[in-house]
Amino acid sequence: MTATTLPVGSGQRVLTPAGGRVIRRSLFWVGVLVFVALIALVSIGTAGSTVGGAPLSATNAAPGGAMGAVEVLKQHGVTVTPTGSLADTRAAIGDPSTTTLFIYDDGLYLDESQLRQAVGLADTVVLVDATFAELRAVAPGVAQAGIVSGNLGADCPVAAVRKAGTVSGGGSGYRLVGDSSGTTSCLGSGDSVFSLIQLDGGRLTLLGATDALTNQHVIENGNAALALNLLGAHDNLVWYIPTFADVPAYQGQDLGSLTPAWVTPVLALLMITFVVAAIWRGRRLGPLVIENLPVTVRASETMLGRARLYERSSSRLRALDSLRIGAIGRLAALCGLPRIASVDEVAAAAASVTGRQVGEVRRVLVDDIPQTDSELVGLSDALLVLERDVARALRP
Amino acid sequence: MSISGWFVALVVLGVLPIIVTGDPGVLGLWLGGAVLLGVIDILIAGSPRRVILSRDLPGRVRLGETVASSLMLTNGGRRRVHGIVRDGWQPSAVASPRTARIDLPVGERRAVTTMLTPFRRGERRAGQVTIRSFGPLRLVARQATFELPGSISVLPPFNSRKHLPSRLARLRELDGATSVLIRGQGTEFDSLRDYVRGDDVRSIDWRATARRKDLVVRTWRPERDRRVVIVIDSGRTSAARIDNEPRIDTAFESALLLAALASGAGDRIDLVIYDRRVRARVQGAQGAELLSRMVSSMAPVEPELIEMDWTAVPALVRSVTAHRALVVLATTIDAPGAARGLLSVLPQLTRKHTVVVASVTDPTVLDATLARSTREEVYRAAAAERALLDQARVAAAIRQLGAEVVTGAPQDLPPALADRYIALKAAGRL
Repeated sequence: MTATTLPVGSGQRVLTPAGGRVIRRSLFWVGVLVFVALIALVSIGTAGSTVGGAPLSATNAAPGGAMGAVEVLKQHGVTVTPTGSLADTRAAIGDPSTTTLFIYDDGLYLDESQLRQAVGLADTVVLVDATFAELRAVAPGVAQAGIVSGNLGADCPVAAVRKAGTVSGGGSGYRLVGDSSGTTSCLGSGDSVFSLIQLDGGRLTLLGATDALTNQHVIENGNAALALNLLGAHDNLVWYIPTFADVPAYQGQDLGSLTPAWVTPVLALLMITFVVAAIWRGRRLGPLVIENLPVTVRASETMLGRARLYERSSSRLRALDSLRIGAIGRLAALCGLPRIASVDEVAAAAASVTGRQVGEVRRVLVDDIPQTDSELVGLSDALLVLERDVARALRP
Repeated sequence: MSISGWFVALVVLGVLPIIVTGDPGVLGLWLGGAVLLGVIDILIAGSPRRVILSRDLPGRVRLGETVASSLMLTNGGRRRVHGIVRDGWQPSAVASPRTARIDLPVGERRAVTTMLTPFRRGERRAGQVTIRSFGPLRLVARQATFELPGSISVLPPFNSRKHLPSRLARLRELDGATSVLIRGQGTEFDSLRDYVRGDDVRSIDWRATARRKDLVVRTWRPERDRRVVIVIDSGRTSAARIDNEPRIDTAFESALLLAALASGAGDRIDLVIYDRRVRARVQGAQGAELLSRMVSSMAPVEPELIEMDWTAVPALVRSVTAHRALVVLATTIDAPGAARGLLSVLPQLTRKHTVVVASVTDPTVLDATLARSTREEVYRAAAAERALLDQARVAAAIRQLGAEVVTGAPQDLPPALADRYIALKAAGRL
């Protein structure tokens, strides 16, 4: 057998592009996609850290952050170390006696024992916006006393407060409920509610006036002085804002440990199967063949349109006239009258054939003017009845 | 490239080893194996690009009938091509089956037959042929689409040919070819024959009877070799549908029946389809060739969305014949405004020719005049009555100008026009 191999195509035009051409053609778009992805990555990387972030974060330049206060502290020679977990904080504190520890647990990540440990790490601790659980853990003698607002005046011998003079009080307030020995209460807003309470002779400071530290308010009143003197008392400042890293790992049995190992790969395989099946069904066997469709116009369209116009404009008399002219023509033909016969002749002929009064027939054919749609329907029915009667009388 | 259901099944079968071993790593191995098999399969699949194609198409088919179209595939490659092929026809060609399995050994040729049952008149086209060639494992296929144009002409159905035998019989009666008890109609003297009982005594030729010493009657026959010119309006009004059939299709049916009848009666028929230019023209054809040429010239004509130019029609008729003729105008008469063009040129035509205006009427309009039970129906009946009155006015105007009017529903118009032709012929008005 001599099977001659003919060249590809043999003069036939193949519409499906060859594999190499598909790759070459798609190169441009792949390039465009890569370029767009690069731009997106770069812009996210450069712009992501400047705004937003946790409240009172040392690296947060947004109105709710505390970057302003931290920068000023740095300029005054204080070494500020932002930390995000208890372990980092422990590592960052070299000498407890020369370090101020700032703790602000906005996300409630710390449990009681962790908080007690944290407070014990340094000799000077500032606990900001302490919650009920935190107070119970480290300061059982202090209770929460609601929200405080407005400006508060210096009213105690604490140096930081005295130098500040007036402080923005926005934040929480506290009240002493237990033993008051070794305790100094400052920034009172009346009703024995205070925004700053120092315990253990100044070892632990509870600060409720969070607004005073934010970038938005730190330049107002004596807020900056309060921040500098309260937090800049030592050379080192550890700015500890607990994060998710402080949450202890769950030790018990979860869903993942209960399911067999094959479930995840099987689910993945089923998803892949779904995609493969979509490709299988989605690949069509050649393109569609284009066809021009004919216009579809129903001939009765004009008639229906005219009917709707009559109806919308309530042209009862005009509508009835059409029906009457048609009926008169047919009656004339039935009665054997010529095409040019007048209405009176047709009415007389119809009346004589059916035995009705001429006036009655004339009213149906000409005289009655319909005032309502129901009268129109009645007259059109009367016309039909008349036509039927005449036809029946003439063709028994 | 495309994949088969077997490939999908192969992928999903990976569930079993994953469950049995319980090792997530099997997933990657299985997928890798499946892809490898697919790559091997596609590499040893026969190339669809090396298939040489040719079509064998019938030239034409009557609307509503089924015709076979063949596609020849020759494997010019080095490997067997096994797969499916699709002949890409337009949807209205209704190709069945849509796809066919092929098994093409190297160097051999196979035919794929597709049955076409078009449901729309005109030229139905095929654009391309697609071949999907599977590998020996049937997992993955190579696919190629070839440009291979082809077309078949779908002719008007000529459903009204069922009326032809009865009309031809009536023509023969006119002709005197069949023995009837009435005096042979027509005006042209045909022949003399012996009197048989029942013949009209008025047709006895007494002079011939005297010569033959036996009763002899004259027979008459209608005139032959008359001209019939059919002008079909392909303007915008012909696009409207009545009973889901465009007016122009009804006009085609009427023209075909009339042509078949008139050519049977020995007349000469010319056809012009016109709106602002001549869309089709059949002149000087006789006998079987006439109908064949008429249907093939009608097949591609679709109504144009432009107004018919009636002013050119007298010149058009004059260009077809210089003699007296029966001019049939297949158009629409439904409103005095729209028919003004027709009415303005009718006197020029009627001066020389016998003119018949054939128009389709909508049976739903007549039905609408009688349904008057609700308010909406009364208004609709009024509008329908108005439409009928308009039609009657136009018809009266046409009659006044000396032309005849034939109207009817789509099924009734062709026989009505044929009857009018027979009546005109019997009256000797051709």
